[in-house]
Amino acid sequence: MKISTEWLAEYVEIRESPQKLKDDLSMIGLLVEAIEEAEGTSILEVEVTSNRPDCLSHIGIARELAALYDRPLRFPETQETLRIESDRIPFEIEIRDPELCPRYTALVLDGIRVGESPDWMQRRLVAAGMRPLNNIVDITNYVLLEMGHPLHAFDYDILRQARIVVAKARNGEKMYTLDGVERELDADMLLINDGEGPVAIAGVMGGMESEISLSTTRVLLESAYFRPDSIRRTSKKLGLSTESSYRFERGADWNNTVPAAGRVCRLVEQLAGGRIAGNIQDVYPKKKEPVCIELKRENASSLIGVTMEREFIESTLSRLNFKLEENGTDSWSVTCPTYRADMELEADLIEELARFYGYQNIPTTLPPCRNVGRYSPVYKLENTIREILIGLGFNEAINLSFADESDSEEFSTGSDERVGVRNPLTEDMKYMRTVLAPGLVRSVKRNFNMDRRLVRLFEIGKVYRRGPDGTPKERNMLGIIGTGGFTEQNWKQPDASFDFFHMKGTLLTILRGLRIHSYEIEPTDAFRWLNPTDAAVLEIDRKQVGVMGSLSASLEEKYKLRQPAFLAEIEFESLAENAFAPMNFEPLPRYPSSERDISIVVSRDLAYRKIQTCVADIKIAELVKIALVDVYEGDKIPSGKVSLTLRLTFQDRGKTLTVDRVQDFVDTVLSSLYKTYGAELRSK
Amino acid sequence: MSQSIEGLQKRFDEDFAAITDMDTWKSVRDKFLAREGGIITTGMKRLRELPKEERPVFGQAMNRLRSSVEKQLQERYAELKKAAITGGQRHLDVTRPGFPYALGSAHPIKRLQADIEQILVNMGFRLFDLPEVERDYYNFEALNMPPNHPARDEQDTFYFDDTMLLRTHCTSVDVHAMEGLRPPIRAASTGKVYRRDPFDATHSPMFYQVDVVVIDEGITMGDMKGMLEVFLKQVFHSDIKMRLRPGFFPFVEPGAEVDISCIFCNGAGCPTCKQSGWIEILGAGMCHPKVLRMSGIDDSRYTGFAWGMGIDRVPMLKYGVEDIRLLFDNDLRFLEQF
Repeated sequence: MKISTEWLAEYVEIRESPQKLKDDLSMIGLLVEAIEEAEGTSILEVEVTSNRPDCLSHIGIARELAALYDRPLRFPETQETLRIESDRIPFEIEIRDPELCPRYTALVLDGIRVGESPDWMQRRLVAAGMRPLNNIVDITNYVLLEMGHPLHAFDYDILRQARIVVAKARNGEKMYTLDGVERELDADMLLINDGEGPVAIAGVMGGMESEISLSTTRVLLESAYFRPDSIRRTSKKLGLSTESSYRFERGADWNNTVPAAGRVCRLVEQLAGGRIAGNIQDVYPKKKEPVCIELKRENASSLIGVTMEREFIESTLSRLNFKLEENGTDSWSVTCPTYRADMELEADLIEELARFYGYQNIPTTLPPCRNVGRYSPVYKLENTIREILIGLGFNEAINLSFADESDSEEFSTGSDERVGVRNPLTEDMKYMRTVLAPGLVRSVKRNFNMDRRLVRLFEIGKVYRRGPDGTPKERNMLGIIGTGGFTEQNWKQPDASFDFFHMKGTLLTILRGLRIHSYEIEPTDAFRWLNPTDAAVLEIDRKQVGVMGSLSASLEEKYKLRQPAFLAEIEFESLAENAFAPMNFEPLPRYPSSERDISIVVSRDLAYRKIQTCVADIKIAELVKIALVDVYEGDKIPSGKVSLTLRLTFQDRGKTLTVDRVQDFVDTVLSSLYKTYGAELRSK
Repeated sequence: MSQSIEGLQKRFDEDFAAITDMDTWKSVRDKFLAREGGIITTGMKRLRELPKEERPVFGQAMNRLRSSVEKQLQERYAELKKAAITGGQRHLDVTRPGFPYALGSAHPIKRLQADIEQILVNMGFRLFDLPEVERDYYNFEALNMPPNHPARDEQDTFYFDDTMLLRTHCTSVDVHAMEGLRPPIRAASTGKVYRRDPFDATHSPMFYQVDVVVIDEGITMGDMKGMLEVFLKQVFHSDIKMRLRPGFFPFVEPGAEVDISCIFCNGAGCPTCKQSGWIEILGAGMCHPKVLRMSGIDDSRYTGFAWGMGIDRVPMLKYGVEDIRLLFDNDLRFLEQF
């Protein structure tokens, strides 16, 4: 709301600088966002919150300042008596929906000369951000900005009958509004009808036909009160927000219809030569009573946290035009001004007291803490994973939670679990994401475009899938992507590329950090966005909790990556049950351990895990670790074979192992591998 | 006898003088002192072959020789070692780059989110991980925003159907906590929220928030100010000043807008704070009696407060990030700076 200080000074004495006004208004809840200097005035850009429609006018702001500075408020001249000064021009008002229109005030003005409004009025309108049109329209706008009450002027002679009918529209009814747009109406919208057809959408916008024109001589002036929720629904449905609807939907003052009409009459007499041609008609079928609230001093003091003195309460509320009636010790029955649409409960009055006491003057205290803080279960998992991945060289990414049509096809896992947004922002945000991978792939692509070919990212966030009952369900996921070099190009070590085993190692490091000791990695071909050659699932307790592998060739091509990218996606929330196993201390061994390397040659189709299992099944208690330290395929061994070098670590907690005993163990291992898989010792 | 000892000494002195590095040092040591075949070691072993009366004299002389040889070798060893370290022949060009171990980075929003969660836990709050896909009831209705409430306008919402939506704030924690816990309550939640805003430099359809709620007997606005101050000083800096202005949120009454003194100019006025010295940082207020009642809290006995803050704004402010889209672009040139 643009407030002109020069205009404001008509209603309350202003001794303060614009800067001081800005500070003072801000501290009573009317934030002044900016001060603009204009010719002969300063314009305050006041942010009026949606609960204070009474402040959407110059008088509204003046009222607050008058209360703050304890100065009298000066009301503008109105035509109070509304005498009949010419021949009576007849019209009728009929309210068919008193729920939505509890009050409709109207009168006819005659002898009007439509022309330009005077300079001073045009200047004020322009300063407040309105475009001057003609004196009649300008006057109604002027009174709107002055008193906050929306008004509408009809050309009386264009109305087909001298009637105002306030009723709901018929479904499919159409009319042209002032802005020249044909609007289709429905039965939920309140219309102003002239007995033949619509002439205005109540409280939102007038019709084009009955618009004031240069030839208008008689005006029917509307000053009504419409119910806020009805106006809001209509304005929303039509996508049409006006100065009028903005105020009605927040709540106008139903007691302001007559004074606002009187003010228009006064200005029309002065500036457009018109006279009132008939009695004012004020149809008020549903009388609204002012809101009355009980206020206890004790409640105010205990909510604010400082003693509210009687005198302060009485003087503050009186200055704000509340009527106090004492109804007990330190207790009042408070009648609220009808323009205060925000008043409903005692807390609303207490806010008025706090506002004028000054939030800055309330003493700062700390309540006793009777709670123990606790993280959500996800917190520890998430933060442990984050720290590990950062240590491993991954940068954390955040993508929008939306997905487009092709994402869900390309990255789907079969059944359509997509959750569609009813009112998406754009086509490519039609769905909620079901996996993190597409966002990560696109992030990688963006970095490639910046010539960054070594990219390692992770994202911790939710994915959304339709649950069995049809409602969207969300899960916390971890997504990882790695592509390009394993380290930056450097002189020290030949460049290795980030590959499947780096991704697998990353996942296993996370599991180690989470103290999850038992899991399985199984090959899979169920994910069409991964190459089936190296895709694998992570299983814990036989439940699939994640997947990893390289981005499928077709997607690699689609995104023009031109280098393999490795992905993993873990539903880490389901790790919660298994994570953070208790830490057990085992006394350190007192005797040295022995290591032996053995190189065996086996068929290259034999899974390493089978060898591991085979060795473990021998159950040599002293064999404490098996590590794969070298893999060789090539000319020196038969084709179709692979040479694996295993490092076996033996440890006897009771005594030092002798060379002979270790050799016995190694021989047992070798013979078992030979018997089971035909593994031969590789000759040097 | 004494001649042969002198001869030994002489041979050692010659060899010793020829030591130039660890390798020659080692061969000299082995030549004279090796357990198997060292000249002195062998000499000692042959003592037994001498007549009984000559043994003591000769033995003592051999011992003296051995200790002096050992001592000289030891000293020489130390010298060689020192030379090797301080500029001997195995000199590294230490100015070459070290091995480029990779180190990643936390997203600035997530880092701050984790910090905030830690601060709140330390202040006695229980943290909830709440759904982003929320019922209209928890996002609006139970927060005193019935259908057609004008305040809904300011939070243009993504809907899935008539009842399910993407939460527009984390304030739903107020309702969930009041429904699920008994006072005294200190509950908080952080996470993504969504508003149907165009994606441009200053708007994003998705951003991050933290909301807290405190409910107990005798909670006052002064208490709210106190806890806000503790919180903001930990999030920002212990020197910041805080200012409350009346504000409006349908779920609180009285409501407050909270400003902090500008972190760049300390309140003197600069472009970031638009010369005001203050930065609007969060919304707060005393829980609305209707909100308490709707969620089953006896509002005649309990009062409380709630506040909510945008998380994204903080790193943007702190680091001067002018385009919010940078936060969600995942450009390494951006991420690596944190």
